[in-house]
Amino acid sequence: MKYLRFVLPVVLMSLATVAFAQHDAHKATNDQVAPPEAQKSFDAMKSLAGNWEGPATLDPPQPEMSDGKPLHITMRVTSRGNALVHEMQEAGTPLDATKYDHPVTMFYVDSGRLTLIHYCDAGNRPRMVATTSADGKRVEFDFVDLAGGTEYGHMHHAAFTFIDVNHHIEDWTYMMPGDKPVHAHFDLKRAQ
Amino acid sequence: MDREWNDSQPIYRQLRDRVVAMILDGVLKEGDPLPSVRNVAAEYRVNPLTVLKGYQQLVDEGLVETKRGLGMFINTGTRKLLLQGERQKFLAEEWPRVHATIQRLGLTPEELEAAAKRGSKPKVKGGER
Repeated sequence: MKYLRFVLPVVLMSLATVAFAQHDAHKATNDQVAPPEAQKSFDAMKSLAGNWEGPATLDPPQPEMSDGKPLHITMRVTSRGNALVHEMQEAGTPLDATKYDHPVTMFYVDSGRLTLIHYCDAGNRPRMVATTSADGKRVEFDFVDLAGGTEYGHMHHAAFTFIDVNHHIEDWTYMMPGDKPVHAHFDLKRAQ
Repeated sequence: MDREWNDSQPIYRQLRDRVVAMILDGVLKEGDPLPSVRNVAAEYRVNPLTVLKGYQQLVDEGLVETKRGLGMFINTGTRKLLLQGERQKFLAEEWPRVHATIQRLGLTPEELEAAAKRGSKPKVKGGER
């Protein structure tokens, strides 16, 4: 009896320690399984890696745009998965941003926020931060700040809508000097 | 329009300047539609958003108006407005440099007029003055 009085508390304490340890291990595993929202959104954006083509429609509206030459967009994951590069070009032009009109955008996660920097031929680099819709199908980037001048205006807003693995939509809004927006809507299908 | 772009300004500003030059040269007349965004984007291999930005700049300057569903058209009075602006710009920004060069070279009004008529550089006889 004396023996049991000594052993029982020891056994109970040991069991409690194991239970707590298991709880902590389980919590850590869950933390790894469920990444932060920004990382989830970034992973969704990275699923767009590849080549895309499709027509553009504009606002203010322009006639004869629907049967226009398609726009070509290339996205590739770089920096060991830490960044996504997005390049726009006219279909059929060589991928040469030094000569052609090829704006480049970089996406990355910074301080728990999905962020983009757009490298514009207007000579500035606006930074935008993402919010993702509840169903995860739309990622919208809102303007935060900008490096460089605003003399020629700047890109102000971007939105990506996921339709399926081979179809997505991009909306880009540029703010002209005097804060007048112009808007482009790209309906993109995966290309080879 | 020239297909080459320089690094001095964004492409949309260069596109705006080319349309202005076409209006001043009489290639585009008041009331004419601007070439469609689709055609300019395809022909000059630029993003349609870039073309729209160039055209919107012209709208913001009051040189062009948007007719919904039809496109953009050159306003009445645009050429006169542009001429005034371009003349002032030339006299304020370019003329002082040109004038200084004329003074430095000792060119006479007659030589300049003759050169303008020939459309070539004046041939100065007798070397240095």
